[in-house]
Amino acid sequence: MAESTAHVTWHGSLLEGAGTIESVGSGVFSSLPITWQARTGEEEGKTTPEELIAAAHASCFSMALSHGLAGAGTPPESLEASATVTFVPGTGITKIALTVRASVPGIDEAAFLEAAEAARVGCPVSKALAAVPEITLDAALA
Amino acid sequence: MPRIVREADIEWEGTTARGSGVVRATSSGTFELPSTIASRVEIHEGKTSPEELLAAAHAICWVTSLGSELARLGTPPERMHLKCTITMDEVEGQGHRIVASHIAARAVVHEADKATLAEAAAAADAGCPFSALIRGTATVTYEATLEGGS
Repeated sequence: MAESTAHVTWHGSLLEGAGTIESVGSGVFSSLPITWQARTGEEEGKTTPEELIAAAHASCFSMALSHGLAGAGTPPESLEASATVTFVPGTGITKIALTVRASVPGIDEAAFLEAAEAARVGCPVSKALAAVPEITLDAALA
Repeated sequence: MPRIVREADIEWEGTTARGSGVVRATSSGTFELPSTIASRVEIHEGKTSPEELLAAAHAICWVTSLGSELARLGTPPERMHLKCTITMDEVEGQGHRIVASHIAARAVVHEADKATLAEAAAAADAGCPFSALIRGTATVTYEATLEGGS
């Protein structure tokens, strides 16, 4: 079992106020500024829940794919993945688009695409976010 | 309402077990973080994990919902502090699953009593898009307390 913790503080109202991700358990980041404007309009150097979800999903997918490829006897040299989260205020997250470009010695395209699809379906973040209407994947060998 | 798109990427070198990655916030440019599988399932060693990023996302989502609900009830908050803990566990036959997210909120709210905060917190949990998203697959729980006031 693994537990992960994050601390956030917020001052004032939603529209005029502002918040900070004060700390996370790993200590790897702190003092990330957040505002509602950053979430719905221009980012202006502030992060949002949707950006953090995109980061979580891209990392989870990468780990699952590299694990699957190694398990099949074709470990990857490198993977570059991205996740793009679409958020509609009032509705929620409507779509997550995953992309991956991978350098995998000795694999054919069909086997790679199969492993990528398995990671899209099976990674813990994909499973946790199964309620998102659309999770797409664009996978290719580099 | 307009659609809002946010993006992050990761570059991973090598296998899951022995490799490592760097997660970047490509939309805002606010972070670039190291990540490994060991930091995810064992000790973090100063590296982040998908679950820690989700905990940060849920904390922000919930705190903005709580602030909105308190304002709607006529008692806008002065300050709120919120901790989110996400639990990933190995579930028999299903591998690693995110099984729970717990929110602990403390709020400084002038003129709000416990009942008002309880009402706002219940509405915040019902309205937080992230809570709604993961409730189908994980247990979402919360506690909310007033700090330094009536």
